[in-house]
Amino acid sequence: MRLLPAYAAAAFLFLHLPLLVLAVFSFNESRFTVWEGFSLRWYRAAFSDAQLIEATWNSLLIGAAATVLATAAGALCAYGLWKRASRWLSASLSLSLVTPEIVMGISLLALFQWAFRFLGVRLGMHTVILAHVMFCLAYVVIVVLARLRTMDRSLEEAALDLGATEWQAFRRVTLPLLAPGVGAAALLAFTISFDDYVITSLVAGVDSETLPMVLYAIARRGANPVVNAISTLIVFGLGLLILIAERLRET
Amino acid sequence: MRRRAFFLSLAGAAGCTPRTQRLNVFNWSNYIASDTLARFEAETGVRVRYAVYESNEEMLARVMSGNSGWDVVFPTHYFIEPMREMGLLQKLDLALLPNRLDLFPEFQTPAWDPRLAWSMPYMWGCSGILYHERVQPPPRRWADLWDNRFRGRLTMLDDPAEVLGAALLKLGLPLNATDPAMLRRAQAEAIRQKPLVRAYLNAEVRDQMVAGDILACQLWATTAQQAIDESPELRFAFPEEGFPLYSDCAAVLKESGRPELAHRFIDFLLRPDVGAAIVTESRTATCNLAALRQIPEPLPPTLHLDPNVLARGQWFAAMPSPAQRLRDRLWTEIKSA
Amino acid sequence: MNRLRAWCLAPTASVLLTLYLAPLAILLLYTLLTRGAYGGTSLPWTIENWQRLLDPLYLVILGRSFAVALVSTLICLLLGFPLALFIARSGPRRHIWLYLVILPFWTSFLVRTYAWMFLLRDTGLINSALLALGIIQEPLPLLYNYGAVILGLVYGYLPFMVLPLYATLERLDPSLLEAAADLGARPWQTIRRVIIPLSLPGIRAGSLLVFIPCLGAYLTPDLLGGGKTILVGTLIQNQFTSARDWPFGAALSLGVMAVVMLLLMSLIRRQDEGVL
Repeated sequence: MRLLPAYAAAAFLFLHLPLLVLAVFSFNESRFTVWEGFSLRWYRAAFSDAQLIEATWNSLLIGAAATVLATAAGALCAYGLWKRASRWLSASLSLSLVTPEIVMGISLLALFQWAFRFLGVRLGMHTVILAHVMFCLAYVVIVVLARLRTMDRSLEEAALDLGATEWQAFRRVTLPLLAPGVGAAALLAFTISFDDYVITSLVAGVDSETLPMVLYAIARRGANPVVNAISTLIVFGLGLLILIAERLRET
Repeated sequence: MRRRAFFLSLAGAAGCTPRTQRLNVFNWSNYIASDTLARFEAETGVRVRYAVYESNEEMLARVMSGNSGWDVVFPTHYFIEPMREMGLLQKLDLALLPNRLDLFPEFQTPAWDPRLAWSMPYMWGCSGILYHERVQPPPRRWADLWDNRFRGRLTMLDDPAEVLGAALLKLGLPLNATDPAMLRRAQAEAIRQKPLVRAYLNAEVRDQMVAGDILACQLWATTAQQAIDESPELRFAFPEEGFPLYSDCAAVLKESGRPELAHRFIDFLLRPDVGAAIVTESRTATCNLAALRQIPEPLPPTLHLDPNVLARGQWFAAMPSPAQRLRDRLWTEIKSA
Repeated sequence: MNRLRAWCLAPTASVLLTLYLAPLAILLLYTLLTRGAYGGTSLPWTIENWQRLLDPLYLVILGRSFAVALVSTLICLLLGFPLALFIARSGPRRHIWLYLVILPFWTSFLVRTYAWMFLLRDTGLINSALLALGIIQEPLPLLYNYGAVILGLVYGYLPFMVLPLYATLERLDPSLLEAAADLGARPWQTIRRVIIPLSLPGIRAGSLLVFIPCLGAYLTPDLLGGGKTILVGTLIQNQFTSARDWPFGAALSLGVMAVVMLLLMSLIRRQDEGVL
């Protein structure tokens, strides 16, 4: 137990090592792995690349929308399943987890093909968000359900005995206790959505290029420090945002 | 329900198109100059949305469903007939493409589309051997890549057509062989080579060649030239047994509701001055003779082939279905070996 | 009670029906068709695609993929459990630790994989450091093998293990641990006999969330494996891209899914012990 903090430090180092490497070399003058001097040229290139900025914005928008929708639907679903199991719902959710990304992407593409034929719906932001909600759902349900299973059912029953309605019992007893689990699930959902390449690339339309898609294209052509600059910016930007959110929560 | 609708409409609003005319172009990476689109927009007032892809499969996956939203794409020549058969392409109106007469004569009546009814050749290329100059004697034939001295320092392209193609040419068989016995012999060669191969890589190998990790690789000429530009110690060889040729062509998707704009864009790319600017910046091999005449410096030998060398090249052809299925299976076996 | 429950389940159910089950039904339809002359699907109807699945070539690939996924999951569990424990017991600051775990994963997965390639290459950082320190004479081939793939998978899916584990461990009653200590248990015994059994839901959830994506992983084996090996994810991807054989790709996908579902069902004894 005493070793735990030391281990955690090592684990965090492992997690952040590639990021540190990226950050250091994003300031490298040279394109290559030899250090040639400090430079901001890659950052300048990143900010002047309209395609990158638009893609980042798209990713954030899609991530936010998909997270909100998936977390809301998924948390509610976990609660409903906790009350009483539903065979077919559990089976479908399990199945959706087992589905490889390429399969989910292709099947959604096929669906949108039919939607286009009969409803004239083109591929675009809406199709991407729908796809993201779909593949995030099961993750949300699993995390929230795992948390629910460690909770005492009698707490809600006690509230009901004291005269609360079902909805009140849920809102005032279960939900606050559930909050960290829901928060963790939302975090996971956003991470999965922001990071997704395979499914997004298949169902994206002309106007819905996301950051992973752009980065994939750039990186496929060989290491490009502009990619390093973007990644470093994202990590520090988001990190700062989170720090601020933490500060606000504590006041 | 209302919340969901609200968010969906937000997303839809984000994707709304403005009043100005638009054109959506999907092309290979590094195939235009940094000012090409700006010039087109200035001259025509049409906003171009431009995205890039790295492989025909990637492009095909996006446009296959017919509702992708793209107008102009650039398939490699042996994809033109399959895409036409799948009903994905529109017939070209040659009256709107006067600049096509600037193309090399060979590209005005190409084998895969003699009347240029569906495609307009844009760039061409080939694959060969990129190697480090300290490799002596230098590799000159595909057969040299089976040499034990390259063990662990060799890469091949991650493409069944290219790897089996190299093996076929090494055996003296035609590049586009469809006979199962020939393909199996080629597969046996590829499996024999596999212990020597460090990895099957495409454009990613460029940085590793420059860094010196890899001594020799099978690579496309344009990518190889980019590597040579960065590291003068690298050399390129056109294998003596022959090598694959291909051409990336402009085509208009059938789903496009803006064929006139699409044609204008293609014709714009065919203009000599525009073509020359693209070639000078991107260092690619153009099909446009007039453009070639306008570039200030002569192109290196990888991008502008000597006719004697060109004679050894063979154009890739679209494979009939049974042969393609066999080739895919052979490729899986090679990877799994 | 039932009305509330119905409202809770409705959104998810409708999403699943339209965006998952319906598309899957379309895919099932595709497995019974033939590959079109140039790709896609066409008539006639056939069961040949399902028959192809029994080919030893594909079974071997599936077996290898299982092994790789299993090893990756175990390593994730070993690495992730202490980390989740640390975060769960870290008091009010725990949210910061959680975010620190997630933060790397907000950069593109591809970018982080390229960072690993940069580290593992023959002229990469690790080899250069080892050479400079004189520990090795020749660069180690760290990249383009199964080890690199597993490293990439573990790195990529660690938060999927940590988050569910944390969600369960956070609920752990500290008084239980105190009681164990009072009864004379040493820390290791407490972990083995109290903490682990109580965190089984989280372990199950985390293992599932890691094992299954690892099984169908495509990008990591593609980039870090150097294309020299072929796992099931790449095989399926190939069917939809270069091979353009949608019917067989669909059959492959549904086949793999069926095998995993069978495994899941055999591991779950009662409804309540399931993950979902």
